[in-house]
Amino acid sequence: MSVMLTKFESKSNRVKGLAFHPTQPLLAAALHNGSVQLWNYRMGVLVDRFEEHEGPVRGVAIHPSRALLVTGGDDYKIKVWDIRPQNRRCLFTLHGHLDYVRTVQFHHEMPWIISCSDDQTIRIWNSTSRNCIAVLTGHSHYVMSAQFHPKEDLVVSASMDQTVRVWDISGLRKGSPNAGGGPGGHAGGGGGGSGAFETFDSFSTVKYVLEGHDRGVNYAMFHPTLPLIISAADDRVIKIWRMSETKAWEVDSCRGHFNNVSSALFHPKHELIVSCGEDKTVRVWDLAKRTAIQTFRREHDRFWILAAHPNLNLFAAGHDSGLIVFKLERERPAFSVHQDTLYYVRDKYVRSYDFNTGADIGLLSVRKFGSPYVPPRTLSFNPAERAVILTISSDNGLYELTNLPQQAQGDVKDSSVDGKKGSGQSAIFVARNRFAVLNKATQLIEVRDLSNSVVKTIKPPVQTNEIFYGGTACLILSSTTSVVLYDIQQQKTIAEINSPPVKYVIWSGDGALVALMSKHTITIANKTFSTHSLIHETIRIKSGAWDDAGVFIYSTLNHVKYCLSQGDHGVICTLDNPVYLTRVKGKTVHCLDRSARPRTITFDPTEYRFKLALLRNNYEEMLYIIRTSTLLGQSIIAYLQQKGFPEIALHFVQDTNTRFELAIECGNLEVAMETAKAIDRAECWDRLAQQALKQGNHKIVEKAYQQTKNFDKLSFLYLATGSTDKLSKMQKIADARGDPMSRFHNALYAGDVQGRISVLRDVGLHPLAYLTAKTNGLDELAEEILEAAGLTEADIDDVPTFPASSLKPPPIVTSTTTMNWPAISAGENFFDRALAEGNLEGGVEPAYVNGDAAVGAAHSALDAWAKDEEIHVEVDPEEGGWELDADGGDFEVNEGPAEEAVEEEELGAGATPGIRETELWVRNSPLAADHVAAGSFETAMQLLSRQFGVVNFALLKPTFVSIYRSSHTYLTPVASLPPLQLHIRRNPAESAPSRVLPVAARSLQSVRSELAEGYRFVSGNKLAEAQATFRSVLAALLLIVLTSDDEAKLWRETVTAAREYLLGVSIELERRRVAEAEPDNVRRNLELAAYFTQCELQPPHMQIALRSAIGVFAKANNQAHAARFAKRLLELKPDPKIVAQARQRIAAGDRNPRNAVEVSYDEFTPFEICGATYTPIYKGSPSVHCPYTDASFLPQFKGSLDPLTQLTEIGAPAAGLPASW
Amino acid sequence: MDSSELYHIKQQFVLGAYKTLVNLTLPDPNAPTYTPTLLYQARAHIALDNPKSALELLPTDSENVAVKAAASLAKYVSASQGADKDAIDASLEELRDLAVEIEGDDSEGNEEEKALVRVLAGTAFARAGEIEEALETLGVDTEDLEAVFVIVHIYLSINRPDLAKKQFERSKRWAEDDLLLQLIESTIGLVTGKDGYSNTSSFYTEQLGNPSLTSPHILTARGVTRILKNEIQEAKSDLDESLAQQKGDTETTAALVVAAGLGALKKTEAEELWTRFVSEHPEHPLVVDVSNKESHFDECASKFEVPPLASA
Repeated sequence: MSVMLTKFESKSNRVKGLAFHPTQPLLAAALHNGSVQLWNYRMGVLVDRFEEHEGPVRGVAIHPSRALLVTGGDDYKIKVWDIRPQNRRCLFTLHGHLDYVRTVQFHHEMPWIISCSDDQTIRIWNSTSRNCIAVLTGHSHYVMSAQFHPKEDLVVSASMDQTVRVWDISGLRKGSPNAGGGPGGHAGGGGGGSGAFETFDSFSTVKYVLEGHDRGVNYAMFHPTLPLIISAADDRVIKIWRMSETKAWEVDSCRGHFNNVSSALFHPKHELIVSCGEDKTVRVWDLAKRTAIQTFRREHDRFWILAAHPNLNLFAAGHDSGLIVFKLERERPAFSVHQDTLYYVRDKYVRSYDFNTGADIGLLSVRKFGSPYVPPRTLSFNPAERAVILTISSDNGLYELTNLPQQAQGDVKDSSVDGKKGSGQSAIFVARNRFAVLNKATQLIEVRDLSNSVVKTIKPPVQTNEIFYGGTACLILSSTTSVVLYDIQQQKTIAEINSPPVKYVIWSGDGALVALMSKHTITIANKTFSTHSLIHETIRIKSGAWDDAGVFIYSTLNHVKYCLSQGDHGVICTLDNPVYLTRVKGKTVHCLDRSARPRTITFDPTEYRFKLALLRNNYEEMLYIIRTSTLLGQSIIAYLQQKGFPEIALHFVQDTNTRFELAIECGNLEVAMETAKAIDRAECWDRLAQQALKQGNHKIVEKAYQQTKNFDKLSFLYLATGSTDKLSKMQKIADARGDPMSRFHNALYAGDVQGRISVLRDVGLHPLAYLTAKTNGLDELAEEILEAAGLTEADIDDVPTFPASSLKPPPIVTSTTTMNWPAISAGENFFDRALAEGNLEGGVEPAYVNGDAAVGAAHSALDAWAKDEEIHVEVDPEEGGWELDADGGDFEVNEGPAEEAVEEEELGAGATPGIRETELWVRNSPLAADHVAAGSFETAMQLLSRQFGVVNFALLKPTFVSIYRSSHTYLTPVASLPPLQLHIRRNPAESAPSRVLPVAARSLQSVRSELAEGYRFVSGNKLAEAQATFRSVLAALLLIVLTSDDEAKLWRETVTAAREYLLGVSIELERRRVAEAEPDNVRRNLELAAYFTQCELQPPHMQIALRSAIGVFAKANNQAHAARFAKRLLELKPDPKIVAQARQRIAAGDRNPRNAVEVSYDEFTPFEICGATYTPIYKGSPSVHCPYTDASFLPQFKGSLDPLTQLTEIGAPAAGLPASW
Repeated sequence: MDSSELYHIKQQFVLGAYKTLVNLTLPDPNAPTYTPTLLYQARAHIALDNPKSALELLPTDSENVAVKAAASLAKYVSASQGADKDAIDASLEELRDLAVEIEGDDSEGNEEEKALVRVLAGTAFARAGEIEEALETLGVDTEDLEAVFVIVHIYLSINRPDLAKKQFERSKRWAEDDLLLQLIESTIGLVTGKDGYSNTSSFYTEQLGNPSLTSPHILTARGVTRILKNEIQEAKSDLDESLAQQKGDTETTAALVVAAGLGALKKTEAEELWTRFVSEHPEHPLVVDVSNKESHFDECASKFEVPPLASA
């Protein structure tokens, strides 16, 4: 069993002395070459070196509370050092010993230093007065070690004289002999007379002399709490001594070293002894049984010294060629998180810890599992069975499967009672009733069921060191160079990622991402391993946990850090000691410390939340963070810039120079211009000009050139843009400046031949001037020049003649002087808007679910097992029929950059109008009613048209106007000012700009009461009014705000009822018209009466319809039909009088079962009635429908206006009402 | 510190009890409170849209800048009622001159009067839509609460409750717990709807219980607040009571129209009330806005092609 875990190793000269710093990760090492090293063993760096001793240094100690180091060497000197980096130096040297100094030590509370020497004395020094205050004599050979008792006034020493002595130094404390200054002088002197020694002896006396070793004793120390002493000697034996008030005796010996034992220590916490010797071994012994537990062997190096950390499970051993720092046992507690509960092992007990309540309960003892000295290594939890599998590394790897008790019992169950064991290095649950066990030696993975019998054996495709849960039916196999996602069922590799050996695997809450952690790297992969990113840490990575937003929080030896899925990472906080993260909830990290005690760390997640929001383009959250946090500094700006978001960074920066840089980078010319004005330096203008030129904004280019007086470029720009008038101005400027070159250029650009000639003449370039004039046909001018030059035609005979120049400045095809190149408008940035509109009132924290809502779906798969057997019930959405799809997405389009910044200039800074509440309403709602209330009639109509196929809006005008009118109210708080328009909200408790919605002007209830009014009209035979009312109801229903599925259902019922009544009433009205206008058309009359009874009416109204039909049919002598209607009437249980009439009618029908008039009415085949022709559409015949009411029509009416509601286009596609609640 | 009568008058003015102020008997012309009282009375007249009375009240020969400013405001309001463009410009010019005059070192008048000039000028500019000028005249760093109130009103009217809030927060530092400050806070609350209008609502309720004054305006304000709180029936009762105290008050009626539309009255009654309101107050912003929307509706509706009616 190789439980000794080396944490740090250094190569150096022989190490003879070692001392741990009590709080910092520092270790002092005294070297045989005279150097004293100070190592940071956690970071693995040499912090400091102290090199003033001549010859080997053997003794070293660090002060328990102050930054002091004491060393003693073969130069007889004891030196005390200040180890603070800023003033590291030797504070003083204690002289007095007459031979090599072997060990030194600080007293735990007094300002004393104890030292022992080959001069056979032990000396105690006062480090304040720097005097020797006691010399303990009695040993008759080299004193090899001397140690204070950790609490009492005792000293234990070991000597080559084969004895261990215990000294009582209580006299020193009572009356310091030094007070009188009596024995002074030792500090400087080489050694007083032997007489002086006697003086000291009165204060320190030998209490016990422990004899038993057969050779010289190298080391002896007190037990920290028990009255025990341990000694290590050249007789290869470690002896344990017990002492009482009056005597001390040998208890036992530990034999096993086969050469001199250099040192032996009590374990600070456990009942263990650790020893080392010249046989090149470090050994661990059981203090109670005095048996060897383990041995750590080194190939070539003899061990000389051991040191134990006072608080941590850390030891250091010095050997011939350096030192090692090691742990005896793993500290990482075995744990597993399920939802809000942590299952973990402490002191060989499985415990559960509830993150919410903090309840920490012991559930199961695993004391008898594996070696008693070794804690379990891993724990895998199965929620379905409430079982755990533990593994332990002792006995070459064991696992044990045990059920946890349902509740904590008084008597904690021991796993040995019903635990199922086996051997294997790695064991985990892979399904609710299966677990996998890895046997490293045979390289086999066995899948076992809960009764521990093998159901499947897998030969892993790679040399596997450890297995992890890999998602449903998968394993993650960790090999030395890669990590493999392996499908158990198909027995094949799904994916493989190269990685250093993966030690821990942590799945994200939703099981979508997995963190594969090795010593120095974390690989974040998705669940198929198809994408992954790698983080490298120089410091050892300890543990990690997923935040519920998909951020991985991990701990290294000294930091808690975060990592985003794309690989960005950063520090959250620093740690004094490593912790093992178990769960991240909001701002709290739950973790286990080194002694496996649950604790929490609160941290500020702002930085990574911001970065995450940035990655996800969640501007609202970013804005919220910007407003509420103060974190944003240079680092965030740099981050934004580096990540390609300069335009966002621009919003945070005040500094003009930085703003300019950012503005140039993101091409925001306005800001760049603004800032350039403020900075007003030539180089800024140049850069602005370059950038503006790139973007084709030549107006800004022009300004920039003007600012820098860059005349040449300016002229050329004017030429390029065809700005002739400006070019001529440039000419004048050039004239004024008297720069001939510039004048020439400008004349050339402007096509001003005369100008050019005059420049040439002015500078005396007569030949050129002459030729220019000549070639441009200006003969007279040419003559003049010739004359001016004092020549005649004859003189220039030899000059060849050139044809007339046809060069002209290019004509302006399209005038671009006033136009910039069109650029895609960046639009109004979210931040511009949000920061400008200043709706600060309701800066709502965006829903950032972490730990609260999406509770530990981490084990979603496990949960799934837990409810494996439950039948999955598909919730059938009621509204399926009328497509309540939330097609909110479509409405985003409507937002657009609604308001152009036309007014801004007028108003000046600070008074830019903000966003109107009505705009927010439009933005926040996909409901037409809300758009109407906001006065956005156009979008409202588009919505109605899209949702219900409404095309004829004229009828809706009163509804629109009254809703709009009812959604705004006015109040004048200030005398003589126009009233404020106030907007009435649906939910007065909601004031966040992203959630406000207008008041619902009409409730479903009020519309339903209107419907009831329509019913009354029907009963009262006011059919025209009824028809109008039903139409109005249907119109009103279009603009109702619904808040729940139940309401939506009721709404649909109301629509259907209104439609049926409208249809019925319309049929009856038509029947009356027919009866009136075409009295001969009995057939139609009868048909319509029959159809009326087919509408879905309430029983009282159905009675009316039926009675009307009975009457009409009876009158037409269609007795059979009339009887049918009468039977239907009876089913409705009308009052007795009507019953009697109906029975008569039935009787009449029975007597005479025939129909005089043949009508198109087949009551036995289901049919719908066309709302336009009032003729039946039998089931199976083609029909088209009203997109709103679903009323049926004959196919030929597709595309026509629905005659019932008179609102919609028949057969138009419609999205249905969006479910906005 | 103002005398108690003057304090009382100011309170009434702030809370909109203009009618009471108008009927107030002026103190003795030599009393120190005479001019301030006169000014409040004149401003009450203007607030009641009765600038003529204000002009009658104000002496034309006064050297007092505040009196002059009040007269100019009255002229402005009167001119804007008649839509007399020249007169409007003239009165605005007068106010501009006054505003410039008080900036001078040798100007007459004490600080309070100067502040009042700024408030009156700012009011006129704001009415005329010259928001920037108004803000500049009032001075966004002013320490005059009345000016702050006007500024806040302007900010609110351009949908910048954040700036309004800033002004309020700034004023809190020096204005202690002035009644006007509370009113400012409650007005901001009306627009932002913070905490479900609770602050605004309790402020008005508290002022209704104030024994030293009665103003139907407060009732109306609470009615409006209650509309905003979706307490329509309660709102209606406030508004009815307010109307009983001041028959035909425009603002109250306007609020009642809205409440009626939200179910306080039956549909037909609501329509009737609306029709009456439209005919009586064709200039009210609600009427103007709604009639704009009506034409907007026609315009939008015309974009949809209405297919022929399906008929047999």
